[in-house]
Amino acid sequence: MNRRQRMLHDLDQDIRDHIEVETQDNIARGMSPEEARYAALRKFGNVTRVKEETREVWSLVWLEQLLQDIRLGLRMLRKSPGFTAVAILTLALGIGANTAIFSVINGVLLSPLPYKDPQQLVVIQEHDSLPNVLEIQKQVRAFSQGGGINVQRMDYTGGTEPVQLRVGLIDAAFLELLGVQPMLGRIISPAEDVQGGPRLAMVTHHFWQNFLGSDPRAIGNTIHLGGNSYTVIGVMPASFAPPMEHADVFVSLWAGDPGTAADRSVHSLHTYWRLKEGVTLAQAQSEMAAFDRRLAEQYPAEERERRTKLVPLHEWLVGDVRPALLVLFGAVGLVLLIACANFASLLMVRAVAGRQELVIRAALGAGRGRLIRKTLTESTLLSVLGGAAGLLFAKWGTSMLLALRPEQLERLSGINMDTRVLLFVLVLSVLTGIVFGMVPACIAARADVAEALKESGRSTTASSMGHKIRKILVTSELAVALVLLVGAGLLIKGFSRLRSMNPGFNSANVMTMYLQLPTTRYREIPKQTQFRREVLARVNSLPGLEAAMVTDIPLGGNYVGHRLVIDGRPPVAVGGEPIVQTLTVMGNYFRVMQIPLRAGRDFTPMDREGQPRVAVLNEEMVREFFPHENPIGKRIGWAGDAGPPQWMTVIGVVADVKHSGLNQPTDPAVYTPFAQNDERWKRFMTLVIRAGDLSPGLVEDVKKQIWSVDSQIPVSDVHPMDELIAVSLAQQRFNMLLLGLFAALALILAAVGIYGAMSYSVNQRRHEIGIRTALGAQGWDVLRLVLKDGAKIALFGIIFGIAGALALTRLMASLLFEVKPTDPATFAAVAILLALVALAACYIPARRAMRVDPMVTLRYE
Amino acid sequence: MSTKAQKDRIELLQGTLDLLILRTLLLGPTHGHAIAKAIEFNSDDVLQVEQGSLYPALHRLIKKRWISVEEGTSENNRRAKFYQLTAQGRRQLVVETSKWDKLAGAIARILRPAEQKSKP
Repeated sequence: MNRRQRMLHDLDQDIRDHIEVETQDNIARGMSPEEARYAALRKFGNVTRVKEETREVWSLVWLEQLLQDIRLGLRMLRKSPGFTAVAILTLALGIGANTAIFSVINGVLLSPLPYKDPQQLVVIQEHDSLPNVLEIQKQVRAFSQGGGINVQRMDYTGGTEPVQLRVGLIDAAFLELLGVQPMLGRIISPAEDVQGGPRLAMVTHHFWQNFLGSDPRAIGNTIHLGGNSYTVIGVMPASFAPPMEHADVFVSLWAGDPGTAADRSVHSLHTYWRLKEGVTLAQAQSEMAAFDRRLAEQYPAEERERRTKLVPLHEWLVGDVRPALLVLFGAVGLVLLIACANFASLLMVRAVAGRQELVIRAALGAGRGRLIRKTLTESTLLSVLGGAAGLLFAKWGTSMLLALRPEQLERLSGINMDTRVLLFVLVLSVLTGIVFGMVPACIAARADVAEALKESGRSTTASSMGHKIRKILVTSELAVALVLLVGAGLLIKGFSRLRSMNPGFNSANVMTMYLQLPTTRYREIPKQTQFRREVLARVNSLPGLEAAMVTDIPLGGNYVGHRLVIDGRPPVAVGGEPIVQTLTVMGNYFRVMQIPLRAGRDFTPMDREGQPRVAVLNEEMVREFFPHENPIGKRIGWAGDAGPPQWMTVIGVVADVKHSGLNQPTDPAVYTPFAQNDERWKRFMTLVIRAGDLSPGLVEDVKKQIWSVDSQIPVSDVHPMDELIAVSLAQQRFNMLLLGLFAALALILAAVGIYGAMSYSVNQRRHEIGIRTALGAQGWDVLRLVLKDGAKIALFGIIFGIAGALALTRLMASLLFEVKPTDPATFAAVAILLALVALAACYIPARRAMRVDPMVTLRYE
Repeated sequence: MSTKAQKDRIELLQGTLDLLILRTLLLGPTHGHAIAKAIEFNSDDVLQVEQGSLYPALHRLIKKRWISVEEGTSENNRRAKFYQLTAQGRRQLVVETSKWDKLAGAIARILRPAEQKSKP
């Protein structure tokens, strides 16, 4: 027996003895035994409380009481399963949605990047050439390391079918910068990364699994890429990927594309740099500005317009999605608020109903703090259970988010329920229980015992106060729901605007596939042209389709620009010429894509080698460069070529096409025929095919025709044009769907809230309604009585909601497309929707009120 | 009888009752009922102690090891627990007494000028 048990062991006996002695004393003073005992007891005070307080001296009271409260709480919750289920479900929805979004935010915004000291990494926004990168490495002191990568497609012919791989052309410093340790073998050394160096390849884990059979002795194997053989020297770990780029294999730029490596003017590398310890971004930025000036003086033709901008890597990666995620997080927080308001109002009803019990406890000596604690334990218990159920919702919700995620959220693949997320849920649940349980608990504990006991049952003061608070809660719920609905409404409107944007072509029934010719066998332009003609002729011989070719399809993510000169215009300083988009086509591209011809003529097969060079412009090009003249017949050319420009005569104008996205402006663009192409590096093309039906059989037939020309050409990126449009809208769709979902959730919760409040109020007023009916009120009068109450709440909710929405929606301006954050039509529509839902939610209790039988209620009272 | 009033009373007793118990035990080991009686008697019945509150106080003091407890027999030959001061409790009594004197003196000084003002 420890000290505590020993001390408490005979407390009962001590107290009995004490009272006995006192009784004896009283008898000795001449009282009757009964009187004496009564006096002794009165003098002693509340025996139970004395025992309790004495026990408290010895125990970890709070813990004991907490366990006791939890046991009690669980028993109470079991006793009213309906209430428990509704409360837990309400919170689970709120907490679950929050957890799902938080785990996305945690994965995307909060987790550090998987590289060595990622906070020191910065990106140069502009691409650069290897000669310039080497200069920066040598001259700029702000950086301790830095390197670049450019992903090119190359065909890999080691498998059963030729496939196209993404090859990361890098300099040796790139892998070193990211601090990657190869899983097998080694990475390329600076000594090997030089002109004429060996052809070495570092393959990704994925490549190693798929093409090298996960062979642990794969080092030293030879693989064939783009017609050249490379020796595998390293295998990267599975966790490694470049920050932005997708690549299957890494090779030195010198080995993979020596022409580009040596050329200062070809800015192909996307470069990453590590700031030296203690160097700020601003310092590095100003040092780079000085470097830019030096380089521009040294190489005016290539580097005149250098404006290097540094961006921290993390910001570069998440900058686009951060506003959307924060808006979603804010929205989901509002959903939780509504859920909590419902929760609080449920607790309130329960607190009022359970007041008798509390009053009895208070009469038996329970302290006020103790009563509050008991009520809070119950609410926290509920909220923690809600949180646990919410985790299940969240798990389901995150997998849904993953399925919906747009490409910009690729990092999402790393999201999961880590400790931070679990901690978030725990804190959120406990806080919810305490904060939103506090008001009901205080109302309950305010009970004046004597007063309440007299009142017996039909309580007035506490319940009317509770009712007032409930009305406030429901009003705020409606207001918050309105804010969310407005947000969702704006996004939906923006999205439908975006969806109905004319892309400038007809995407229906168009299939696209990407082809690229290997340098080894298609170095010369005539061979490339011959291949294209042959393929087009054979594909077009298939029945029921028409095919054409273009360098870069709209929404495909690729873009080529050239510097423009116009014949007869005053010369522009070298390097200062405007850049326009350039597209090269073959076949009836405009007809296949249904891009309308606005003026002049389309290309014909006669516009070929040896014939006068021709070009077709888009309307934006005409607006910008030929605003007050007829462009047909004018001559344009490209700057930067050695010698005089090769003039092209403008023969036609076509409609604008949304090349970079439906929400992006159209750039001036020039179309030229592939048959007159004089740029050897344009070895790639996308086949566009318009067909009656886009069955998989069609793709197979087309592939067969291509391979009948050259069986070694990989066919990749096979997508219907409609799919490309959908992908380009994915981010907006994601935002809209999620915010729409949250708004719907908010609307339902708010409707439940107002329904609950009105039902309760009708129940409380049965007596009054009964009397009114007895005095001759018609069903309609009763209906109006109840609806008036609900309408008042709805009206205030809508007014406050509109005020809140006006204040908050400008935060989402960047997510909206051609819709003002204060769009009156959306505001009006949403207000009407909310009013209708609120009235519908009031109508059910109102109907119940109409059916109140005065005889029954009056007798019941 | 509201809960608030109960709470105030407990706070008022805390410490003060402890001091009175320690002072009573200075005269020798005493059992529970006798301590209550002694406090009542010595204060000329001014302090109406709810006798029950004696027990939490006694246990508090035992826990602090200022008093100890021993089994024994009372005057009328019944089993009884005798409480007595420990050496530590004796020292504590001096500390507590001087603290109490200081407090009482301070309160008296605050209250006296107020009385003088209200007289004329």
